[in-house]
Amino acid sequence: MYGRVYAVAVVGISGHVISVEASVGRGLPALALAGLPGAGVQDARERVRPAVEGSGLEWPLRRVVVNFSPANVRKEGPGFDFPLAMGVLAASAQIPGAPLRDYAFVGELSLRGELVPTPGVLCAAMAAARAGLRGIVVPAGNAAEARLVEGLEVVPAPTLAAAVEFLKGRWRPEPASAVAEEAQPRREHADFAEVRGQAPARRALEVAAAGGQNVLMIGPPGAGKTMLARRLASILPGMTRQEALEVTRLHSVAGLLSGDGLVRERPFRSPHHSISVAGLLGGGSSFLRPGEASLAHHGVLFLDEVTEFHRDALEGLRQPLEDGRIILARAVGAVEFPARFSLVAAANPCPCGFQGDGRRRCRCPPNRVQTYRQRLSGPLLDRIDIQLRVPRLTKGELLGSEFGESSADIRERVEAARSRQHARLSGTPWTSNARVPGPIARRMARLTPSAERALSVAVERYSLSGRGFDRAVKVARTIADIHGSETVEDEHVMQALSFRGETAEEVAVAG
Amino acid sequence: MRAERPTEYNEDYHPVDGPAPEWPEAFARSAADREALACLLAIPSLTPRRLLRLAQTERAASACLRAVSSGRMGRSADRDRATPGRGRELLQRAAELGARFVSVGEPEYPRVLLDLADPPAGLFVIGRPLSQLEPRVAIVGARNCTATGEEVARTLAMRVGMAGVAVVSGGARGIDRAAHEGALLATGRTIAVLASGVDISYPPTHRELFTEIATHGAIVTEYPPGVRANTFRFPARNRIIAALCRAVVVVEGAKGSGSMITADHALDVGRDVLAVPGPVTSDLSYAPHRLIREGATLIRSADDLLEELGMAPSGWHPDRASTATAPVPLTEDEECVLGALHGATPVDRVAMDSRMEAPRVLGVLIGLELRGAVRQSGGRWERRPGWS
Repeated sequence: MYGRVYAVAVVGISGHVISVEASVGRGLPALALAGLPGAGVQDARERVRPAVEGSGLEWPLRRVVVNFSPANVRKEGPGFDFPLAMGVLAASAQIPGAPLRDYAFVGELSLRGELVPTPGVLCAAMAAARAGLRGIVVPAGNAAEARLVEGLEVVPAPTLAAAVEFLKGRWRPEPASAVAEEAQPRREHADFAEVRGQAPARRALEVAAAGGQNVLMIGPPGAGKTMLARRLASILPGMTRQEALEVTRLHSVAGLLSGDGLVRERPFRSPHHSISVAGLLGGGSSFLRPGEASLAHHGVLFLDEVTEFHRDALEGLRQPLEDGRIILARAVGAVEFPARFSLVAAANPCPCGFQGDGRRRCRCPPNRVQTYRQRLSGPLLDRIDIQLRVPRLTKGELLGSEFGESSADIRERVEAARSRQHARLSGTPWTSNARVPGPIARRMARLTPSAERALSVAVERYSLSGRGFDRAVKVARTIADIHGSETVEDEHVMQALSFRGETAEEVAVAG
Repeated sequence: MRAERPTEYNEDYHPVDGPAPEWPEAFARSAADREALACLLAIPSLTPRRLLRLAQTERAASACLRAVSSGRMGRSADRDRATPGRGRELLQRAAELGARFVSVGEPEYPRVLLDLADPPAGLFVIGRPLSQLEPRVAIVGARNCTATGEEVARTLAMRVGMAGVAVVSGGARGIDRAAHEGALLATGRTIAVLASGVDISYPPTHRELFTEIATHGAIVTEYPPGVRANTFRFPARNRIIAALCRAVVVVEGAKGSGSMITADHALDVGRDVLAVPGPVTSDLSYAPHRLIREGATLIRSADDLLEELGMAPSGWHPDRASTATAPVPLTEDEECVLGALHGATPVDRVAMDSRMEAPRVLGVLIGLELRGAVRQSGGRWERRPGWS
């Protein structure tokens, strides 16, 4: 006897609809799997029989062979329990064959036959829709994300038994409650209004939020770098639906969705510096999982104590910083994860942390300071548009300075700056100032003649490289956007130059 | 018996009563004696003071060498190395490096060194004869100095250099380097006194600096080629710096710094000690301030220093010269921001005091930096010298 159902294999963040064939024939009771099942699928062999029997259904006490086809796609993860069970039930004629052909099945089974939420359901639903299937049967816990796909019937089944009843036409899931996507309030964030002083760093983060630029803050311990960076999430602009879907897809594959469907806020990821290369960039032995860099897609990747990260991990960030994606090449093929994030990094100026502090003396020998700084390679620093020193303020200076603007006010400016960018960049492949390639950025920036002059003086005075020049132009453009200015004025260029970072000479001199 | 560890110079340095012993007349006159002396100078356990004491009885360098090789003096480990042949090799190596060996009693030997209780028995010199590099002033200070200290040292050295003074320092990082560089900017008349052989560059990154000093000024050391810059050699080197000069200027130095040792030596041999004050909040002001409290002359500028040396102020102001872009008057904003800078000030403070928004302050500060009026260090801003 033979049965066939559809399942979805998720590779990276893309799903491939595959068919699961089951055949029940003569022989000793056994379950054989064929068609490149991964370790996670092999696991299913043990789970499926108790799950079927626990649902009040019958497991055929004969030789069962299940084949996944096409055989060239690697099947990984626990989402194959459910289609495997359905295939066997179809082959043993316990469910009708006709409706089976319209649905894909995704989900993990418990031994009692409950459907357990599974990572990657959004990707699976997208693949099912693309393959022209009518619907997808998913664990009830994954319903919200699956419903994000338009034109696909989503059947949230709490148990295997319910799914069988559904196919027999004896059970209908409750219609989805119409929760308006926009109605969700923003999460509570720490607010910039709670921070005194550090106006330059605040401005730098505002520019980063508005222009999608990367930021490096260097300062002694206790300067407030981490405190400031954490508040960046509160001023990030909202995402478009397309962006939100991309983020949700990645978070779905990583199993990070909390059940309410679309991720509406830009992600803010802050991995610890002990993170491995695979943890940061993605990877894994069998099931390739997106790394923190990909989970920060369209959001912020915050690396505190950036000099302490493994060098390989940091250097691996060069690819996503350049083209917004990470390609993991494995023996079985290459997998691509999108990773277009704003990098925000914080570091001490030297191993002891007090170089240039003025009040506490740095005891690091100059060569060690240099070695320490070299942990951030030139190519990496080249990709960080905004670099600034954050001083540790004295108590008097702190008490003397004002509390900052509230995050809501800053965010308003950021949103306005973003829409100005979108308008200017419409018709180009880029969506933010940071992404525009240097030569084109120069042409599009609209510098006033006197701003041009100021820049050329700066090139001379600071011996700016070509890249340094481009960075200053892009940052100046974003600052002009924040100020609501069509053209880039002197003032904007000057502000941008304050974020140019230290030259090697300045690093050596700062006492 | 002595503990088996490298002899520290200080251990048996400090003053003795009675007339100081002197080097015997013909201590290193013959070629054999010169070779023996070169060899003796390479022996770490034989401090200048001990060698001088030994010379009182032996009268000649080769006799001293025999005393070491026979085991009457020094440590047993030194015995095998104390041979005239080795001395010949060292002199040959020095000649290859372009260094002259100037022993005590020779005309080129600076007589001012004899003011020391333990004058070096010989010097290796590369570059100009020391007699051409006079008058001399030492500018010394912290290795781990601030940007301000470095600028002060450089400017000071450059301006006294323009007035014809040779600047002496130790060739170390920080203030020493700035002093040499300042002098090189002026006339190049500068002397680096090393704590190692002339072939060893310490710190290694100063190799090019030393080459330049050797071309325009002179490199001086008590040690034969191959001797490394061990910790205990630095205080010994400092006594030569002090004795070579008419005055010692201390720019920045923390508690217990080598600058204090140089100042002590200067006082021992009757040289003037001068100090440039710094902020009272800075650790690096410890040495100059302590010296000033103890009677050192306070130095504010190169003019002060020249006055101390009895020379006319040069009337040339490199501080002003370096800001050649100044003629354009400052804007109101710039005046305002400049007025709000008191020492190293964070932008937040400037914004408060000038009643301007911080982002605007940032822009104005960069404008001022482009003009050379201010500079940034560690996220704080300060005026450059000459801008009030």
